[in-house]
Amino acid sequence: MLLELKGISVAFGGLVAVSDVTFSMAEGEVLGLVGPNGAGKTTLFNAISGLARPSQGRARLLGRDLIAMPIHVRARAGIGRAFQVPQPLHELTVRENLMVAQRFGTGRMDRQRIDEILDLLKLGHKAESDAATSLALTEQKALEVAKALATDPKLLMLDEVLAGLETAGKRAFMLTLDEVRKRFGLALLIIEHDIETITRLCPRVVVLNFGRLIAEGSPEQVFNDPEVIRSYTGGEAA
Amino acid sequence: MNQRLKIAAFVILAYGAVPLALGGNPYVIGLIVASLTIGGIAVAWALLGNLGGMVSFGHAAFFGVGAYVSALLTLRAGWPVFPAMIAAGIGAAVASVATMPALRLRGPYFALAILAYAEIFRILATELKSVTGGAAGLLSIPRLPVVLGVDFGTKLGGYFVILTIVVMAMVVYHLIRRSPHGLALKAMHESEDATRVVGVNSTLLKAWMLAVSAFITGMVGAFNAHYINFLDPDYAFAGLWTTLAIVSAIFGGYRTVTGPLVGAVVVYLVDQLLFKAILPQGHQIVLGVLLGAMILFSPGGLMALVQMLVRRKESSHAA
Repeated sequence: MLLELKGISVAFGGLVAVSDVTFSMAEGEVLGLVGPNGAGKTTLFNAISGLARPSQGRARLLGRDLIAMPIHVRARAGIGRAFQVPQPLHELTVRENLMVAQRFGTGRMDRQRIDEILDLLKLGHKAESDAATSLALTEQKALEVAKALATDPKLLMLDEVLAGLETAGKRAFMLTLDEVRKRFGLALLIIEHDIETITRLCPRVVVLNFGRLIAEGSPEQVFNDPEVIRSYTGGEAA
Repeated sequence: MNQRLKIAAFVILAYGAVPLALGGNPYVIGLIVASLTIGGIAVAWALLGNLGGMVSFGHAAFFGVGAYVSALLTLRAGWPVFPAMIAAGIGAAVASVATMPALRLRGPYFALAILAYAEIFRILATELKSVTGGAAGLLSIPRLPVVLGVDFGTKLGGYFVILTIVVMAMVVYHLIRRSPHGLALKAMHESEDATRVVGVNSTLLKAWMLAVSAFITGMVGAFNAHYINFLDPDYAFAGLWTTLAIVSAIFGGYRTVTGPLVGAVVVYLVDQLLFKAILPQGHQIVLGVLLGAMILFSPGGLMALVQMLVRRKESSHAA
């Protein structure tokens, strides 16, 4: 198993943001993580990537205990993450962003691989541009994915990387993500609100509501689940 | 002018023209040595400030520790001066380990914490009388030696030693800045979480920068001890070493490699040779006004201002 979460809870003082979440992912799998706003999706991402400390539970990546690992070690262990709000490394060019990610995420430098990632994410023409000031939103999102890819991840976690893109841009980005997955043989864990996107990309979906896992299965199964419908509508299932 | 030409011009000017033109004037050479001493601390401070993103008010601690380590090794253990100066750099870097808990703090909290450390080191130097001589200080610290017939103990000899220390500090700064570690450090100021999730151990990198910065400052402190042959805690750990370095680095442009040195030379020499002559009492006020004006009109410092003027001139020529 690639990722195993068992009974993960994250609390901020008295507020329980994630409660007793258990699921696992196989290598190369694409899993969607959905739920209404405030369901705890990003907090769960933070717990996996190390930005939040679980108050309970276990997390393992290829059998290695994630909870005991500092954040920077998780990158080397194989966890790549793209943030919902793009976080380019400031004062660096696009290429330098990838160089830092590769050097620290893998411990080596491979210019060819960086060029390959830049081409794949259609950032080649912006390689020497300032990452924080010269990129359009789509390019910033692409850079988020490119940075994570440069760390050579086994699991790539994408936090609403398609949010804010117009329909054509979204479709093109989905194709790129599919290509990325095939080229590098990665597992993808995707947070996304857009049901069409999730249905297209993810054979399996996990649904959170108020921090709890309320459904798990194929997109068809979960989006017809009465509890899932209630969590989105706040009312009765049709 | 391309980069190599600029470096060649600097080397010819610093190692050739300045000693030839001013070597016979010990007063001016003495002033230049003092400005380079401040310049060395300013480069070290800027390395930490620019790359580490940490504003330190406590570099006097590393200056003082370096001065005491080298003075004691030469006085009490009979070490030759130059190896003792390197050991002083190491000593200051080791002393920086004691300040590392402060790395968990950010912004003004870090600045204040490290200021407190500087005061702790000063008190230690005052109270450990059996080792440091206490408030009375250390006298007759060995002068800089004669090597291969060159007497580094003269003012001009001292000039070459401190110049070489500062040049080496600038080379180190340049090499770190262009390395992936330097890039990560630069990025960390605005995007610490983003750097951590790609594998950057931000605390370790900051600790390294602090140690490198302390090493350079310690070497400069050691040089100063052997140059003036005297040391006491109030002098070695004086806050002035930090404030002059900060003023110089900001005036010259702390985000460039050359800015801190240029700032130190300009600030100190202009103050001593010009403002002091015009206004013997309170001449530093003019300096304060100039610094304020620089921050207001060219926040990037003197080097950024010069670069902007050169670009403007070039574009007007092109038009």
